Amino acid sequence: MQVREVMSKEVIAVRRSMKLGELLGIFKDFHIFPLVPVVEDDSRLIGVVSFRNILDVFQSSHPDVLKLVPFLDEEEQNIFKMDISEDIGDLVVVQDIMDQEYIYIREDTSLEEVYKLMDVHLKEELPVVDRLGRLVGRVGIFDIIKFLFNQKGVMN
Amino acid sequence: MNNSILGLGFILTAGLVSAKVIKKLSFPAVTAYLLLGILIGPSILNLVPKDILNSSGMISNVVLGIIAFGIGQNFSRFHLRRIGKTVIWISVLEACGALILVTAAFYFLLHQPFYISLIFGSIASATAPAATVMVIREYRARGNFTDTLLGVVAIDDAWCLIIFAVSLAISQAIYAHAVEASFIIRVFLNALLSIAGSFILGAFMAIFLSIIYRFVRTQAELLILTLGLIFLNIGIAIWLNLSVLLASMFLGAMLVNLNRYSFKFFDSLKMIDSPLFLLFFVLAGANLEIGILNNLSLIGLTYLIFRVAGKILGVNLGAKASGAASSVRKYLGFALVPQAGVALGCALIAKSDFPEAGNMIFTTIVATTVIYELVGPLCTKYALRKAEDIIIH
Repeated sequence: MQVREVMSKEVIAVRRSMKLGELLGIFKDFHIFPLVPVVEDDSRLIGVVSFRNILDVFQSSHPDVLKLVPFLDEEEQNIFKMDISEDIGDLVVVQDIMDQEYIYIREDTSLEEVYKLMDVHLKEELPVVDRLGRLVGRVGIFDIIKFLFNQKGVMN
Repeated sequence: MNNSILGLGFILTAGLVSAKVIKKLSFPAVTAYLLLGILIGPSILNLVPKDILNSSGMISNVVLGIIAFGIGQNFSRFHLRRIGKTVIWISVLEACGALILVTAAFYFLLHQPFYISLIFGSIASATAPAATVMVIREYRARGNFTDTLLGVVAIDDAWCLIIFAVSLAISQAIYAHAVEASFIIRVFLNALLSIAGSFILGAFMAIFLSIIYRFVRTQAELLILTLGLIFLNIGIAIWLNLSVLLASMFLGAMLVNLNRYSFKFFDSLKMIDSPLFLLFFVLAGANLEIGILNNLSLIGLTYLIFRVAGKILGVNLGAKASGAASSVRKYLGFALVPQAGVALGCALIAKSDFPEAGNMIFTTIVATTVIYELVGPLCTKYALRKAEDIIIH
């Protein structure tokens, strides 16, 4: 069974130029902030934004470069005491906070392989791309569980 | 004290507490670990068990291997594309500036043997990003100057590892063959062999790691595999007399270009590296011989002055060559004063490789590291304020 057969094809994706305020607006009625793929005009996947990236707004700067710095003390964050100005919603864009190193899978990957990747890398959902790297869907652990239970006749 | 486990527990707990205390004074944890090490080392309180002190060499090899592996990430295609020419020019020239000035000062002014001068020069090329980043964070510095500074400190240690590995190979060859006529050829052959061998070993291990990765099923297995391969790589490098630093860096560099999910290998190490780093710095401090410090004041002073002069000069030349802003040219050198982990690690290697001069090299580097780590953050703050990336009222 390949991932294209169980993935959700309806995915909310955003552009790198979207402002933080708009991004949060889209998901304000959601219970959780999902993994949001970032795509170019031709649907090519170039990054992902998770709630962790949004927390980076509270960090001073440059999380990407800092990954390379040895012996770095972790920054203690008290998000309740942070001085966040109102205009940050307009000043920060998706490009500033998105992860450019992320796990993604091709639509022809087997379900076993996807489940293994999720297990090894502690991910609950992953973006799915076609052979040209264009975003075609998303798959979560629940999609895999649903498929298995459905196959066993557990689901009504 | 001869109870090693009690000693380990004490070092880890006291390290954590002292880091918390020193953070209140806006110094990085590294400074606390070093000072703690000096305090509990044989020179003062003598609280570190002998077994742990004797394993300093092993711990520093392990820590340096992990660090060098992480520094290898700098050489991913993705990162190399993003590094601007300003960062490349400045980082290469400030590292070489410190190398050349310190080597020349030790050789011509202090009349030290060339192999010792070269070791000091190569260690001088390192900087300590942790202290610099701490100041940037504390004052929430932003701007072109800050971006260039971060780029330079991130890649500087990669140049330092290469410079040190080559210098070490040359110094070892001079040390071993000083009386032979054909020694220049031997020196270069030795250096070349060490670099090429380390590269081949690192590359081979990266391929091996990528193959075994296919069988990994859990996060714990990923950590075990990564650590296992790093240790194997270090062990084989030691066995074949290759450079531990270069072999580890090449392993990281190859892996990052071979494996799509390589960043997960590096991330997995973050779960265990902090206590190892703490131990490494405390032991570095504990190995300081306070007794010989008195005789080293001139050497230490020369190192302190010429390293900073080399960095400032190198930044100046690099900024001119790349057409960087005048604030970068004038002040970025001051922000590169801190020195810590990589320099200490290199000094520990020098200590074990050169039995006669090793203690002098190591003690000088530990003592100057303490001074640089105390003064460095102030210099970085000065540079950021002059460049107007922070405003202090």
